[in-house]
Amino acid sequence: MTPLELLLQQLINAVSIGSLYALMAIGLAMVFGILRLINFAHGDLIMVGSYVTLLLMGLGLPFLAAAAVGIAASTIAGLLMERVAYRPLRGAHEISMLLTSFSVTIFLENLAIILFRPTSRPFNAPPILRSIIERGQLRIAGLDLIAIAVTAVLLLGLTLFVRRTDTGIAMRAASQDILAARLMGINVNRVIAAAFAIGSLLAGVVGLLWSARVGKVDPLMGFNPVLKAFVASVIGGLGSIPGAVIGAYVLGGLEILLQGLLPSALTPFRDAFVFAILIALLLFRPNGILGSKEREKI
Amino acid sequence: MKTRLAIVLVAAAALLAVGCSGQGGGGAIKIGMLYNMTGAQASLDSPSANGAKLAAKQINEAGGVLGKKIQLVAYDGKTDAATIGNAATQLTNSDKVVAMFGFSDSDMTMAAAPTAAKAGIVFVTSGATSPKLPDQVPDYLYLACFGDNVQAAAGAEYAVSSLKAKNVYLLIDKGMEYTLLLGKYFKERFRELGGKVILEDNYQTGDKDFSAQITKLKGQKAKPDLLYIASGPDDVGTIVKQFRDAGTKTPIMGGDGYDTPLLVQVAGAGAENVYFTTHSLMDASLGTDAVKKFIAAYQAEYKNPPENAFAGLGYDTVKLLADSITRAGSADPKAIRTALQATSSLAGVTGSISFPQGSRIPQKGVTVILVKDGKFTLAQEVVPEKIPAP
Amino acid sequence: MEPNPKRPSLAARLAAPAALLALLTALLAAAAFLAGDYVQRIVIIIGINIVLVVSLNLSNGFTGVFSLGHVGFIAIGAYTAAILTLPVNLKAVNLPSLPGWLGHLALPFLPATLIGGLVAAAVAFPVGLSLMRLRGAYISVATLGFLVIVQVVLVNWDPVTRGARTFAGVPGFTTIANAWIWAVVAVYVVWRIGSSAFGRGMRASRDNEIAALSLGVNVLRARLLAFCVSAFLTGAAGSLWAHFITAFSPKSFSFTQAFGIITMLVIGGMGSVSGSVIGVVLITVLSEFLRNAERGFDLGALHMPPLYGASQILMAVVFMLVIVFRPAGIMGGREIDIRGTFRRIVPPRRGRKAA
Repeated sequence: MTPLELLLQQLINAVSIGSLYALMAIGLAMVFGILRLINFAHGDLIMVGSYVTLLLMGLGLPFLAAAAVGIAASTIAGLLMERVAYRPLRGAHEISMLLTSFSVTIFLENLAIILFRPTSRPFNAPPILRSIIERGQLRIAGLDLIAIAVTAVLLLGLTLFVRRTDTGIAMRAASQDILAARLMGINVNRVIAAAFAIGSLLAGVVGLLWSARVGKVDPLMGFNPVLKAFVASVIGGLGSIPGAVIGAYVLGGLEILLQGLLPSALTPFRDAFVFAILIALLLFRPNGILGSKEREKI
Repeated sequence: MKTRLAIVLVAAAALLAVGCSGQGGGGAIKIGMLYNMTGAQASLDSPSANGAKLAAKQINEAGGVLGKKIQLVAYDGKTDAATIGNAATQLTNSDKVVAMFGFSDSDMTMAAAPTAAKAGIVFVTSGATSPKLPDQVPDYLYLACFGDNVQAAAGAEYAVSSLKAKNVYLLIDKGMEYTLLLGKYFKERFRELGGKVILEDNYQTGDKDFSAQITKLKGQKAKPDLLYIASGPDDVGTIVKQFRDAGTKTPIMGGDGYDTPLLVQVAGAGAENVYFTTHSLMDASLGTDAVKKFIAAYQAEYKNPPENAFAGLGYDTVKLLADSITRAGSADPKAIRTALQATSSLAGVTGSISFPQGSRIPQKGVTVILVKDGKFTLAQEVVPEKIPAP
Repeated sequence: MEPNPKRPSLAARLAAPAALLALLTALLAAAAFLAGDYVQRIVIIIGINIVLVVSLNLSNGFTGVFSLGHVGFIAIGAYTAAILTLPVNLKAVNLPSLPGWLGHLALPFLPATLIGGLVAAAVAFPVGLSLMRLRGAYISVATLGFLVIVQVVLVNWDPVTRGARTFAGVPGFTTIANAWIWAVVAVYVVWRIGSSAFGRGMRASRDNEIAALSLGVNVLRARLLAFCVSAFLTGAAGSLWAHFITAFSPKSFSFTQAFGIITMLVIGGMGSVSGSVIGVVLITVLSEFLRNAERGFDLGALHMPPLYGASQILMAVVFMLVIVFRPAGIMGGREIDIRGTFRRIVPPRRGRKAA
């Protein structure tokens, strides 16, 4: 492989993983935008969808049907989460909401350990999702192409949604000033539920792509992805959907390029370098890359 | 204020109550079982716990030991050192067990074994394979599994003599002691036998994406004859799958971390041409009689086959302790220890266990397994000629 | 407050804290001499957790800066102190590549703990300097980054930390006595800082940064100082912990370990030192109780099989309930008035009315 091909392949790898992170980060960003809540339990929605799909496939359902139900399960779980754990906390301090989401995560993870046993279970996606596309020395998985495509479509779709549709505009209003939105007659509860629904649906989709890529599911599988999504959203600017996407690609890109291009003696330090660069980024742009220069109002 | 005071007083009372846990079961021989049933290591430990419980059940159904039933007093370590220390203390002080066993990891073992040793009780680790462990807790810490230096040497010798491998690519999980040691011992023995390492790369435990490492390997001019990937059971399926999906056809080799159905289930056809060193061939049709019976019993009890090699290790550990108690003729911890040290050729699911003079690491043969047609097949039984020093 | 022109005498002012200390010493002595090993372990754990939670309170509760990376300081303190106290013969076996002068050194507990804390504080200074300008979730991510960097260094600095391999053989120096001496010291330090003018400035900056700035509070300096002092105490607690469990590795210091500390902090109430103490005692006892209960029990005719993981679930539920119904924690950010309670139990000799 020529050095150019090497670089190109690593770029392909970076964009592939970046797209997965982007899908996760978008879900997180939507909820944060309105509620100022970083939902750490978002990762467990990924887990819920994957397990439901897996169980249904085990019962004989074809993949697409099982996947659809799995995504629906994630969405419902997300809505339930909002209703039971987060609505009572409306208006509370940012930190309280963050901590609550931690406890929801612990709750769901241990529940999954009890229900599904802690060992991993294989997740075998149908052959179409496992195809590889090659062009000379370069290759990309069919799955990754799907992830990139979905991310692109979603980015466009959501941006349009937020600008053109009533619900979308209502969401933007609520994220700017929730009290004013309520005073303008916006049903804030419904708007928030819609944001959660979209975010959780995304989590369900990510769960399938992620599980197919990794090949298995386990109760703690959501923890790492949500951490990546959190970091990506913050880097890109919390609350901004395009920001979440950019942050995700920056994070994925840094990870892959550092792992791939650093000499092996230095690759164990990959995560340290990634975070050092991200912290440096935050110091230059304290509100993230696309973050609004929020002036704290007196 | 009064309510708060009340809360604190009730808490103090609960604390005192909690200090007395002890369980009944008069006449039973109590053995402490410490595994991480929750937390990050639950996937490693819960099969071991299942295997252990199965062994105890079978022993009791056959009449028990010395006419008494074996009672496994179980605690969940929660993959947390302080909790494990508390549980170990409860086992020695409140439950007054005569022996202790558990864990698949050095950290966890070291959180409990010193407490057992202080109380004059043996601690047998079912799955922690670091050969350095017995030195860290003199006299009372035993392994029921071979040391990593043994299986790595076996792997290296097999690679050189049978696979004729001259150049190897090493991929090591840097976040686990097990994989670090495995990689280190393999490299040492392989180089001793004249082999060359063309590239040594690494990853962190739990990494899910290996595209960067795969691409780096492909960028190498020299091509390896063998990929030695030191990985734990949770990551191996993903790694092999991704390497194979990227077109790598070179044989892959690893340690007993590969001994899990997940390898074939996750990697699918990619698991072909994968070798690994382990305790025994855990296959329902090709294994020894003992293995077949174990798999059948495990399936009947838990509705699924053993999840990984650690299930068999947990099973054998209980059998080992039961055998020691029988030979000791009593449930006295000191006698148990003497009998344990004298164990010789005890047949188990994971091989035959003997403790050589003065050593607390068992002498067990290494089974090299080849994955062929989606099944584990016996490649060779190896007793390494030379073992790297711990 | 008493409408009293003269300040009470030194003896009168010290009476309440002295009585409290005496009571505490009596309880601890009872535990040390009468209680079994298990209860003694719990008492030590409570002591170490008090240091951890109280110092986290200083960093998070008073200043409003929510650090997710404090476990990094525990790790730094633990490793530094353990490397210093490890007996020389073990150093030769386990850490053969240690630089010469370190290899021949084996310090006693107190100096090693102090150095552990100082190293943690020294690391906290540049970290704090760079991070203090961030706000809210951004600072949380940055402190998380700090934790990751610490973990990576620990896993890779083989000659000094043994990398991912177990660091065993640490002498078990932690006792009820020294754990609780540190607990008392930590409580006192944080309480003094909190109730000083400086502390009031910190809390002002937490509640309303712009207002505080307009009043002349040097917000940056306040946060940095709190962060460093907190790191020192946390590092010392790390040493206590290392010499308690005697064997650990980098994975012992994970993000999940932070949850337990944060739970105690929140339930006790951020910004309240007495709240932290109560939170620690309550949560430690409660989780031990639940841990024993989840092993299964027989209550008359009722037989509960073991259900591992139930204790974590219940703790999560308790946490959620507290956050929803009593978000300011048990103490609600206020402190127990020790002197007031004392005066009610032991009325002052002169016929003056108690306040």
